[in-house]
Amino acid sequence: MAYSDKVRGIYTGTLNEIREKGIFKQERFIHSSQAADIEVEFPTGSELKKVINMCANNYLGLSSHPDVIKAAHAGLDSRGYGMSSVRFICGTQDIHKELEAKVTKFLGTEDTILFPSCMDANAGVFEAILTGEDVMISDRLVHASIIDGMRLCAALHDTFKHSDMAHLEEKLQLHADKRLKVVITDGVFSMDGDTAKLDEMVALCEKYDAMLFVDESHSSGFIGKTGRGTHEKCGVVGKIDIITTTFGKALGGASGGCVSGRKELVEMCRQKARPYLFSNTIAPVVVSGVNTVLDILSKSTERRDKLERNTQFWRKGLTDAGFVLKDGDTPIVPVMLFNAKLSQDFSKALYEEGVYAIGFFFPVVPQGQARIRTQVSAGHEIHHLEKALEAFKKVGKKFDILGKTKQEIIAMYGQ
Amino acid sequence: MSFEKDIKNYYIQQLSFIREQNLFKQEKQIHSPQFASINAEYPKGVRTDGIINICSNNYLGMSDHPEVIKAAKETLDSRGYGMSSVRFICGTQDIHIDLENKMSLFLGMDDTILFSSAFDANLGIFEALLDEECAIFTDSLNHASIIDGTRLCKAKKFRYANNDMDDLQLKLEEEKDHKIKLIVTDGVFSMDGIVAQVDKICELAKMYKALVMVDDSHATGFIGKNGRGTHELHNVMGEVDIISTTFGKALGGASGGCISGRQELIDILRQKARPYLFSNSISPVVVGGVLKVMNMIMESTERRDKLELNTQFWKNGLKEAGFILTNTESPIIPVMLFNAKLAQDFSLDLYAEGVYAIGFFYPVVPKGKARIRTQMSAAHETEHLEKALDAFRKVGKKYDILGRTREEIIEMYPISISL
Repeated sequence: MAYSDKVRGIYTGTLNEIREKGIFKQERFIHSSQAADIEVEFPTGSELKKVINMCANNYLGLSSHPDVIKAAHAGLDSRGYGMSSVRFICGTQDIHKELEAKVTKFLGTEDTILFPSCMDANAGVFEAILTGEDVMISDRLVHASIIDGMRLCAALHDTFKHSDMAHLEEKLQLHADKRLKVVITDGVFSMDGDTAKLDEMVALCEKYDAMLFVDESHSSGFIGKTGRGTHEKCGVVGKIDIITTTFGKALGGASGGCVSGRKELVEMCRQKARPYLFSNTIAPVVVSGVNTVLDILSKSTERRDKLERNTQFWRKGLTDAGFVLKDGDTPIVPVMLFNAKLSQDFSKALYEEGVYAIGFFFPVVPQGQARIRTQVSAGHEIHHLEKALEAFKKVGKKFDILGKTKQEIIAMYGQ
Repeated sequence: MSFEKDIKNYYIQQLSFIREQNLFKQEKQIHSPQFASINAEYPKGVRTDGIINICSNNYLGMSDHPEVIKAAKETLDSRGYGMSSVRFICGTQDIHIDLENKMSLFLGMDDTILFSSAFDANLGIFEALLDEECAIFTDSLNHASIIDGTRLCKAKKFRYANNDMDDLQLKLEEEKDHKIKLIVTDGVFSMDGIVAQVDKICELAKMYKALVMVDDSHATGFIGKNGRGTHELHNVMGEVDIISTTFGKALGGASGGCISGRQELIDILRQKARPYLFSNSISPVVVGGVLKVMNMIMESTERRDKLELNTQFWKNGLKEAGFILTNTESPIIPVMLFNAKLAQDFSLDLYAEGVYAIGFFYPVVPKGKARIRTQMSAAHETEHLEKALDAFRKVGKKYDILGRTREEIIEMYPISISL
């Protein structure tokens, strides 16, 4: 060890730089279960405050749903807490296979393989199925985990402008000579809440013999009429070659993810995907919860329907109040503030008013695109949303941004 | 989509190739919690109950411990099932902070940051702390997650021969001029069970002004007198700058990992490590279980002591039977078979005798180094181990490898043909 003053100085300098730029992330401590109402300690050491949570990925309100809790209790009794193993050694239980089969059925694919997280699914899938002779063509706004997965893969990487189909077609033509081609996109883009044009992408992939990869982490369970995802909404169920998704958001929110798709691709992942071979199986207690979540969702669309109504109410409320939003119809509703410091001050002022919503800024979103990303949940009742809207209006007024355009807000606060 | 015949056939061919090389991994289903004895299904539809499991990372027998189950249930009731969030948005509960503090205390470090897994911890740490002006000195047998983490980092990489301090020194001597130098090693090498010479690494690090990182995933909880890990075993607590470890093995075996280390380093990771910023917080129910595990092992060394006794018993038994083992110093005890097909056949025969132990072969271990990796647990009673030893002897006899040298086994089961 040689943690010298020089080394310490280098890191202290980096941390100061982050603070000076106003992009230091400060965590708030929650003393309750995840829900519409949470109890929070912020700043550290202060008394607990009850606030409305407007920024969880708890889209369906299942993270601490009594039926899910009950299933986890039962799972602890019948299949235990941890497996202390990767899948292929001694980490595969009957309930893991049951979950893989349920996901396959729910998504309308051929087969499914579980990963410890969707981050790991994305980190491992590309290297397992592609080589240096192949090409990956990805939307420029795909999730960080996809980017890391592509960085770990020897295939050529190219991008197309966000949701720009003409540009995608150009790239498909450019790489026509590659052995295998994969077009890669998020189903719903997590920072903007917009939806990929999967129907058009399917058509282009058919035309140019490319496979299509979609990350459905922000859509599985609630996008589409029966919540199967973006492929359902776009009418292309059965036509997506690879879907990755997470159990860490709408589907209970504990942990785990998966790759679901063509049988051969799933089998390739089982034999070769490094995070599958070298990291733990999903804990039995978590699997038990997700199995029940999928049962709930397969029986009734009640929760996604409520989420849809809540989303419409919330989007309309914010639009009427005069905020600049990103277009879209998903439960991800970003309130644009552009300036990183403003997004943090705004978030603090909301907290004073009893609303928990975090400022997002570089590197989570591009420079100059800071925002408050709000997310609606089926766990919210109208009274939560009404109260939260009042708080947004009050704070919007305080910072004098209601009814202002992007340019006007940037003129006032800089980028 | 265009999963047309050509593409489909390409993948079918790839899979056949894996099968032909005898490298195809087949999973066995388990119908019970993880424990010394389990109920397994293999082949599909054929159920065998009460098989002795001798290959899990359940070193301390905590994966299904009643106290841990109880704590998990209490946490389900008080803090819920999932957080549906990364840490910095709305995924930090009081219990996450409790666990971070507990790990710092246990490992003797400044501070700790949790990750969804130790895999993710290793995936994110290098890029967050080092840039292209820095250098990483990495043991050639480090875990896959460290390899992937260093692949994602722009720092220069220098591999040194496994546990070879002369080679490490040579590399450090050649590569003095880097802004920050980091030596990274597994604490216990997971495939061989050998313990890294962490004391000597720390000495070299002082001499050449390098930082030291140890992955103690196969050590935390049971290596060293109080189970703190390889830094305790080698008397260098406080001298290792970074420890990464997992809750997915000895510490309950559910999921999650962490990095523990110097204050500024942990602060940086909280701001910059991509798997921390872009993947879920550890679920509350899992955190509740790990907290209980930590309390139990901080109160008493009983379980790690039992594990040590079991390890001694098992190692002696296998040696006396005439198997070739590695120079292991841990509860990881590999029985060397060299040939991939032999490793799989041996494993199937053990299974028929009521013992669950998997064959390991390429790419999990190098070609020509196939083995059965056995692992001891504090959950094992002597009767489990005696029964397992009988099975090993019987199967060893069947394949006629007892008392044979490496060369003799390879002559009987050549590695050139089937890796």
